[in-house]
Amino acid sequence: MHRVRIQKAAVAGGVSLAAVALVAACSSSGSGSGGASSSASASSSSGSGGSTSANVSGTLNASGSTFQTTFQQAAIQAIKQTDPNLTVNYGGGGSGKGRTDLASGVVDFAGSDSPIPAKEVAGFKGAKILYFPVVIGPIAISYNLSGVKNLKLDGPTTAKIFDGTIKTWNDPAIKALNPGATLPSTAITIARRSDSSGTTQNFSEFLVKSAPGVWKLGSSSTISWPSNSRGGTGNGGVDSIVKSTPGAIGYVDYSDAKASNLSMASVKNSSGSFVAPSASSASAAAANATVAPDLTFSAIWASGASSYPVTYQSWDLVNAATKKAAAVKAYLSYLLGDGQKLLPELNYAPLPASIDAKAKAQLSEIK
Amino acid sequence: MATTPQQPAVDLREPASWRRTKNQIMTVLMVLAMLLILVPLVFVLYTVISKGAGIISGQFLTASIPPNVLPASIGGMGPAVVGTLEITGLATLMAVPLGVLGAIYLNEYGKNNLLSRFIGFFADVMTGVPSIVMGLFIFSIWTLHFGFNGVGGAFALACLMLPVVIRSSQQMLSLVPDPLREASYALGSTRSRVTLTVVLPTAIGGIVSGALLAVARAAGETAPLLFTILTVTTTNTDVFNGANTALPAQIFANASSPYTGAQARAWGAALTLIVIAFILLVVARFITARFTKVGR
Amino acid sequence: MSTATSNQQAGPAGALGKRRPLGDRLFQILALAAGLLVLAILILIAVTTSQQASSWFSAEGLSGVFSTAWNPSTNKFGALGFVYGTAISSLIAIIIAVPLSLGIALLLTEVVPRRWSRPIVYLIDLLAVVPSVVWGLWGILVLAPWLQKIYTSIGNGVKGTPVLGSLFGPPVSGASFFTAGLILAFMITPIITSLSREVIATVPVIDREGAYALGATRWEMIRGAVWPHSQAGIVGSILLGLGRAMGETIAAALVIGSSVQITSHLFAPGDSMPAVIANEFGEASGTFRAALIGLGVLLFALTIIINIIARSVVARSTRRSRGA
Repeated sequence: MHRVRIQKAAVAGGVSLAAVALVAACSSSGSGSGGASSSASASSSSGSGGSTSANVSGTLNASGSTFQTTFQQAAIQAIKQTDPNLTVNYGGGGSGKGRTDLASGVVDFAGSDSPIPAKEVAGFKGAKILYFPVVIGPIAISYNLSGVKNLKLDGPTTAKIFDGTIKTWNDPAIKALNPGATLPSTAITIARRSDSSGTTQNFSEFLVKSAPGVWKLGSSSTISWPSNSRGGTGNGGVDSIVKSTPGAIGYVDYSDAKASNLSMASVKNSSGSFVAPSASSASAAAANATVAPDLTFSAIWASGASSYPVTYQSWDLVNAATKKAAAVKAYLSYLLGDGQKLLPELNYAPLPASIDAKAKAQLSEIK
Repeated sequence: MATTPQQPAVDLREPASWRRTKNQIMTVLMVLAMLLILVPLVFVLYTVISKGAGIISGQFLTASIPPNVLPASIGGMGPAVVGTLEITGLATLMAVPLGVLGAIYLNEYGKNNLLSRFIGFFADVMTGVPSIVMGLFIFSIWTLHFGFNGVGGAFALACLMLPVVIRSSQQMLSLVPDPLREASYALGSTRSRVTLTVVLPTAIGGIVSGALLAVARAAGETAPLLFTILTVTTTNTDVFNGANTALPAQIFANASSPYTGAQARAWGAALTLIVIAFILLVVARFITARFTKVGR
Repeated sequence: MSTATSNQQAGPAGALGKRRPLGDRLFQILALAAGLLVLAILILIAVTTSQQASSWFSAEGLSGVFSTAWNPSTNKFGALGFVYGTAISSLIAIIIAVPLSLGIALLLTEVVPRRWSRPIVYLIDLLAVVPSVVWGLWGILVLAPWLQKIYTSIGNGVKGTPVLGSLFGPPVSGASFFTAGLILAFMITPIITSLSREVIATVPVIDREGAYALGATRWEMIRGAVWPHSQAGIVGSILLGLGRAMGETIAAALVIGSSVQITSHLFAPGDSMPAVIANEFGEASGTFRAALIGLGVLLFALTIIINIIARSVVARSTRRSRGA
């Protein structure tokens, strides 16, 4: 009897707990608008204008580009020095997810490696979306070939390597670009992303622009790579394939390639010089890009003798009519101001001064 | 008495040799199955322990989550531990009672009627829904309206657990022999009392088994949480408000990063998750064994 | 007994025609509601995912949906390659997991003395608590490179032979259909083992003893007394395991090779529906996103079909084994 009562009570208790949980959830979160709840009190009186305001409080939710994740994590932690009550949650998940989340209103800003594609515009229901470029970064072409220190590649050769036409390292096309190097007859193993990514998108865009008749697989966040290529998840996955496979070649974000100590190729840019990836060569590329009035631009295949041709950029997208204007402005002005100083040691490139200034000026459009 | 006509003597020797051999072969195969499954278990545990044990410490289990670039000595996975416990706990509270109740309907009240067969069939189908689709589903009906919070994640996990709990519980209930029920009815019990006092306790061992499997799965799921809880770096004890995080999500995010600190944290989180889940399972089985009738 | 009040109802049918106590009614309603909740959730899932996938279905039409051409950059989204990958990896998982699980379950219930079965049960539990992402990581970091060597030697050995060559011959890759199937098998073994063990344990002692009394060996007893009684339960647990194998997302995404192709070579890389959804969802938008959600709908449909087939097969064999 005693045991029966316990069990009955347990069942009843479990059900009622669940019911209470449901009711409580509906009533408490029903008051918050779509987006994070908790104290969104923008209690900062000095929050107007573009200057960093001390003591903004609130919680911002964001998702999107994983390229930005390392930067966002550092900035989120660093901003606690000046605004300890400002909490930012950056969820990553991909540029496409970020844009969709922004259109649905569940995040306050979204990181995106590319502008909103035409077919997605309708999802925003006419809302005015502002682009804030926040970070530049080169894509390194990493390789694992003992004895070869400074590999030189150009667009067409890279395209042929990555679509499987060139199969071994001692191919004449590679030899022609690297006359002094001893290239073994090892087979080339292509390391690429198994998940979709802005890195893939921009890398393939580079191939399209630099090798127009040669690269036939198009430009997209995911490519139909040759079936003998090896896929890794995330930059880390591609890194580990390159590291562990002699003869492998892959494309990785520069910041992640540096973290894994991989050898990186110098790539021939549109002016004909072979440039190695670095923060300065990336900034040089961005400085030469044509910036549209809405602050979108592409640094891929930029002109300029010292530009690294496989450089790309990422924006934070904001709804101009966001309900958390003060907090968003405070965080973004940090990213565009002191936050840029964090970039070099993270192995990204800071924005060129002209673009940074335009972005800061655009902050006033957030109402 | 006349001697019995020629009848074959009863053969009391061992069974014919090929039957005996077959029996022995089968026994060997069963032992082999056991040994075979131990191989991946040992290797996985070895990998997790060798990569993750070094980082486990009090700090690791409680400190906030640092940026990926920082080395393993800084920060920890505290928010993820708390998040996993609260979200999986809430999901269990929702799914297990509902699932057992549903199984009771299917087996005791519905018997073999059309509705129960329908529900049972679709519960089976629901076990095949990929966890990411479950996450998307909860995203469209909950997160879009109520934002990122732990409850959304709990709903997604509960949806994953529910079909397993229902089907396994129903099976266990159906294995309770009818004479037990009939004896109880004969004593004048109502159906609910029969179910709660006779059927459920008899089947409780199996029901708990099924429920534990469901909980173990839910504790290790990543994809549904990506859409429903976002991610945080500091502990959020309020499961109803604000974004949250959980160990599997952190494992996945950190392990795909090239920074050694992040990777070490990923494996530490993996070890933590396995240990927490295993302890819960052992405790649950122990408690069940105490309450179960003698003779199992 | 003599205190049976007029409220007490004898027997489930309430043949005495008295009103049932409120608690009993309430309980029944509660139980029914729980059952209906499952149905409601499922219908909601089906409806919302189909809605989101509709733009894909309308853009591609039936022939497009089932084509093999999957090329996001040219807006072509044919799902057949992924259906194939899911089917093959799940099939491999079941073929490996079922004998293993049943062997262990029988070992635990029939062979091993009671004292020893507890630690083994805990070992199986340990297998169950390994998170799917850890299986995937271990699979790609440890298992796949090791398997690559094994695949290469097997592949070279059977190259050119008629059937084996097309199944196991080159090209081979560590991350492949077979590796994914293997990892999935490890993941679903605990489910099938645990549930089957519970089912087998409920076989009445009388049936077992009867078989022994007739001179059966242990194996014959299992076949004659245990199997008919637990057949339905074991098949149910296998179906649960199969569902899990088909829907497993992260582990498959990490080890299947993400290179969609329809090929008989089991050691070649491939792709499956949950894997591609997980891998590509982050950057997808518009028709691409609708196509990925549509893959979820297809998986739904596939699960339904397989469950129907499995059930009818089981029903037929149960009828046969039970006798008239």
